[in-house]
Amino acid sequence: MVPEFIYLDFAASTPVDQRVAERMLECRASAYANPSSNHVAGRRSRDAIEEAGAELGALLNADPKTLIWTSGATESDNLAIAGAARYRAHRGKHLITMPTEHKAVTDVFRMLETRGFEVTWLEPDIRGQLDAGVLEAAIRPDTQLASIMYVNNETGVIQDIEALGNVCRANDVLFHVDAAQAVGKIPIDLSALPVDLVSLTGHKFYGPKGIGALYIADGPTCHVEPLFYGGGQQRRIRPGTLPTDLIAGLGLAARIAADRLHDDLEHLRALRSTFWSRIRGIDGLLVNGDPDSGFPGILNVSVADIEGESLLLSLEPLCVATGSACNSQVQEPSYVLRALGRSDLEAQSSIRFSFGRSTTVDEVEFAAEHYVKAIERLRALAPGAAA
Amino acid sequence: MSSDPYSAEVRALFAELAHAGDLAGAACAELDEQGVRIRLAATLRDGCLQAMRFRAWGCPHVLAACEAVCQQYEGRPAAGLEQFRASEIMGNLSIPVEKTGRILVIEDTVRSLGRSICDRSVPPES
Repeated sequence: MVPEFIYLDFAASTPVDQRVAERMLECRASAYANPSSNHVAGRRSRDAIEEAGAELGALLNADPKTLIWTSGATESDNLAIAGAARYRAHRGKHLITMPTEHKAVTDVFRMLETRGFEVTWLEPDIRGQLDAGVLEAAIRPDTQLASIMYVNNETGVIQDIEALGNVCRANDVLFHVDAAQAVGKIPIDLSALPVDLVSLTGHKFYGPKGIGALYIADGPTCHVEPLFYGGGQQRRIRPGTLPTDLIAGLGLAARIAADRLHDDLEHLRALRSTFWSRIRGIDGLLVNGDPDSGFPGILNVSVADIEGESLLLSLEPLCVATGSACNSQVQEPSYVLRALGRSDLEAQSSIRFSFGRSTTVDEVEFAAEHYVKAIERLRALAPGAAA
Repeated sequence: MSSDPYSAEVRALFAELAHAGDLAGAACAELDEQGVRIRLAATLRDGCLQAMRFRAWGCPHVLAACEAVCQQYEGRPAAGLEQFRASEIMGNLSIPVEKTGRILVIEDTVRSLGRSICDRSVPPES
């Protein structure tokens, strides 16, 4: 029997872990008071938030005081980039990023370009990676901020954050990392990494949607101007009443991720290996990114002579993505894949398969067989195909 | 209200493209425009379209519309091809307006096939 759907879109969002959901429900019942209130009920909410901060801090090896709760990675990216750029604008207005970043990053830089900032857009190499030497060459005396993502949401390419961060540190440039696809999925030690600002979100690692965080390294020059005003919460950087239940959920998701990180990675490697072994024989198949060094939970492939929208419909009941799910309302070839040198036709046929904790080998084998058959069918339909 | 970008008609046609393929000795029309490639073929008997087949490279709406065209015209007079209108099939299949350009390529191909058949039917001047 064909299942209603097979979810292979874990890079877009993950299901909430059952234990996380239970903790959130419990929190709603017992820690509903405003955590800013000083009465006993308020303190209970505050304790739940502090516990979550400790859990997230433990996952990242970061002091909980360096974490600012936000509504998700998009807000964290906005706060980090716009906030840091504005805070340091008196020192210079040059910023650095890449066109392969998520829209939550590139759109902030585009906005800053209209506000008097100058942005250098560094192109990746053919594997999607940024060489530290290229970053260093782009830094100028007036450069204030560089923003490079950890794991690319479309291709799974992992940047060498340590090398890039060292370049920024050596040149007194703030370094922001969008780690939405990395936190809870690959080991991250913020006490060892030369990074200043790190964005993350709960729903990418089996936590709830609507909650994320921004890590702001402890240091006199590492500061951001707030996006919002209206209260003194969270060091006056991000005011607003904190959603205790969502934060508690993210905290537990972080603790579970810390416990499972190694096993999760091994599981993903095995799934991707199985999937790849089943599809690698497809004529004209292109892998977008670097499958050897990339995040094993993502495999992005293209077949140039296949129409992407028909391929996506043919793949039902598989839930997969063409390009970025956040961008899928816009029917244009992925700007990330175009930046990797893919043609429009190659980019529009790209499919991102992303695996997760609950993905089974059977599902991956079914998906691979389905993908192969869909391509064969669509190729046979095209004018010029052999009868 | 459904968030599904495809109507039930489009889904059903796309799932079963029974008229995909070629026909030996058929009249043909082929177009490659707007990011869509379409080839229509038809055989005739007594002025009627005995069989129709298509090949296409395009989105699901295009493939479904090609199948619908073949289903609609098979067995009917060939003269009807030149009256084919994209708006009719867009309405029947609930194809969104942003796909109009692609469906117009089908209209051009269908009418071109009609002209091709008409040209074949006219006996050469003696």
